Amino acid sequence: MELLGNLAFGLATAMQPSNLMFCFTGALIGTLVGVLPGLGPMTTVALLLPFTFGLTPEAALIMLAGIFYGAQYGGSTTAILVNMPGETSSVVTCLDGYQLARKGRAGPALAMAAIASFFAGTVATLVIALLSGPMAALALKFTAAEYFSLLIVGLIAAVVLAHGSAVKAVAMIVIGVLLGLVGIDVNSGVPRMTFGLPELADGIGFVPVVMGLFGLAEIASNLEKPQDRTLLTQKITGLMPTGRDLRQGFPAMLRGTVLGSLLGVLPGGGAALPPFAAYALEKRVARDPSRFGKGAIEGVAGPEAANNAGAQTSFIPMLTLGIPSNPLMALMIGALMIQGIQPGPQIMTEQPALFWGVVASMWTGNLMLLVINLPLIGLWVSMLKIPYRMLFPAIILFCCIGAYSVNNSVFDIWVMLGSALIGYFFIKVGVEPAPLVLGFVLGPMLEENFRRAMMIADGDLAVFVTRPISAALLAVAVALLVALVSPSLRRKREVAFAE
Amino acid sequence: MNRRTLLLSAAFGLAFSLAGGLVPGLQGRAEAQNFERPVRLIVPFAPGGTSDILARLIGPKLSEAIGQPVVIENKPGAGGNIGADLVAKAPKDGHTLLLVDVGNLATSPSLFSSLTYDVQKDLAPVSMVMFAPYVMAVHPSVPAKNFQELAAYGKANPGKLAVGNAGVGAVNHITGILVGKGAGIEWKAIPYKGGAAATRAVVAGESNVIINGATATQSFITNGQLQGIAVTGDKRMASLPDLPTFKELGLPAADAGTWQGVLTTAGTPPAMVERLNKEIHKILAAPDMQQKIQDQGGEVRVNTPAEFTRWMDESIAFWGGAIRDAGIKVE
Repeated sequence: MELLGNLAFGLATAMQPSNLMFCFTGALIGTLVGVLPGLGPMTTVALLLPFTFGLTPEAALIMLAGIFYGAQYGGSTTAILVNMPGETSSVVTCLDGYQLARKGRAGPALAMAAIASFFAGTVATLVIALLSGPMAALALKFTAAEYFSLLIVGLIAAVVLAHGSAVKAVAMIVIGVLLGLVGIDVNSGVPRMTFGLPELADGIGFVPVVMGLFGLAEIASNLEKPQDRTLLTQKITGLMPTGRDLRQGFPAMLRGTVLGSLLGVLPGGGAALPPFAAYALEKRVARDPSRFGKGAIEGVAGPEAANNAGAQTSFIPMLTLGIPSNPLMALMIGALMIQGIQPGPQIMTEQPALFWGVVASMWTGNLMLLVINLPLIGLWVSMLKIPYRMLFPAIILFCCIGAYSVNNSVFDIWVMLGSALIGYFFIKVGVEPAPLVLGFVLGPMLEENFRRAMMIADGDLAVFVTRPISAALLAVAVALLVALVSPSLRRKREVAFAE
Repeated sequence: MNRRTLLLSAAFGLAFSLAGGLVPGLQGRAEAQNFERPVRLIVPFAPGGTSDILARLIGPKLSEAIGQPVVIENKPGAGGNIGADLVAKAPKDGHTLLLVDVGNLATSPSLFSSLTYDVQKDLAPVSMVMFAPYVMAVHPSVPAKNFQELAAYGKANPGKLAVGNAGVGAVNHITGILVGKGAGIEWKAIPYKGGAAATRAVVAGESNVIINGATATQSFITNGQLQGIAVTGDKRMASLPDLPTFKELGLPAADAGTWQGVLTTAGTPPAMVERLNKEIHKILAAPDMQQKIQDQGGEVRVNTPAEFTRWMDESIAFWGGAIRDAGIKVE
């Protein structure tokens, strides 16, 4: 069977000692930043991006991927132990995980989270291996018209699935698109909004913008909050979940995995959606919903499985289409470009070692995480005790080095610091900056492909509906828009996010 | 370096500077040809491209030859003009070098009206390094196996052929316009973000004609995803011997392709430029270097600073004329 052969080939790549080491490094760093509030996988990947210049493409992507799913694990540790989500994706885990910890059952909760994550990670790896082939074959039929329609779906999905106000999300996307349009236009060669600065001719750098918006802005806002670490002194005893825990947790784990895998593939899904959706689902199917919020093990197992599965399947559109499903995947695309690899459908055929190696490394990485996480919980807890006044200056220094080293340009450091101010302002006014990044990445692609499709079709708009794949994608976009305005779905969405 | 060698070299340094002070003429000659501090080799593009790879091949060898570290710096931006501007404004002592696609550099004065430096006055050509020919190819859906059939199809179906290029004003964009005009074909120019993206789009059938470097296109021709039509350069390519040259077909822009060369700051003493020229020629004469450059889809091409300067002047005039005729302007 070809699939097994490919997976075996991938495992052989992933099991090379150097790749195993980078996988371990990534998973470890990921867990670390997952544990530390304020530092997310987004910042970390952005920070480490320039340092992947010297690695092989496989090692670079394996490490960055490890950071991403490692952070999903780490985030749940803080959520359960101190009721502080290390990541957006582990907000839900706080609800029942912390209650379990207060009842002295932190051990089983942590173990359940780790087991659910590992199980979901294993299934998601298989899903990627199975779905990537058909997806890539489909992707080879993509021309400018299809890309345009796909990008429309991505942008609308970003609005529908963003949490909080849809109006704010749209505003953020539009700002992102405008920022993305700075620079020399591909189709006409005309510079736009560059103010005569040659540094802006190639557009605003992606890495400095995300480091400023997410990393530095987050740090600034964290400095305002008083540090509450009183609960860290508790001792954790008894790791193993009971038979009853497993009986209750296992079905939740299965449901969470399926839901997470599906939602992860959607462009614009983001990290928050799968766990929220899984939690809502568990509450709905439970025989006694009143147990939730008081320490139900399903409330940990379902969302944890969902966020890990979602994190992994979000690689599918990136690896097979070259289209990022979330801002973090956009960074991964950046990592590939640094290596001189054009992301897109040809990656699977031209770089099989890279593709299957990364897929297989997700499984080895998940196994490592299981091993890292359970014995090292004590260490992670002590990490939380590092005073911010020592941690934050170090992070800012690394950000400046990171921003400079992408293009060896001091200008990019200023772009980062400017973005940090804007990001801080966004946090203050309660606006989610993630849609901005999606607009920033997808907007210019949307324009480029639209105008190219028009040039090739001599300005005939019908090309978007006469080409079957493009028409199907536009139908999906319309359906998403209908869902956005339909009152019943809107209510559900609000309920899910209110919980 | 331990303390003793440090002291020793300090003592020697003192002795030499004393000697130099006593014999002024000697000092002047030594300064013109010797490298006294690390040399910066500026690549005005992101890592991973042809210029960057060449710099990483040549840099270490040049460092050995001149006895000073050669630091490779990527300064991408504004189509290579940010890095070129840095070299144009560097001290005039030959310690700042530019390794660049000089064909691209030759189009800059005609494309950008607000260029912050003068390509001909502020930069001193040192030596050409490499030439990689273009390959013209079509998507298999185009019913043409050679240029005659392609021209016939293009004339019968005006506007149906779309030629992908690496961006507005790129050398392969202008080449496409010149070829279309020369052969009387009406085809559309479709710009992409770089040559690789253009090639991929033609493989997918979005555009249907490509004129691009051999490195990017060759594998698609070999495995049948593209139909090869012609190559640039003064002789056929060894790896694609069936494809006629532009010259054989009587097409314009027969010398178009990727030309890479090394330049330094204008005003650098001629003896210094000569020394750099000789060292680069020596480095590129090594068989392993020739092989590595062949792997990049090109061949070693070296010349004297005078020949290189003439080449630049002619190229700037040629592409400038073509750009004006086509009415292309970037800034």
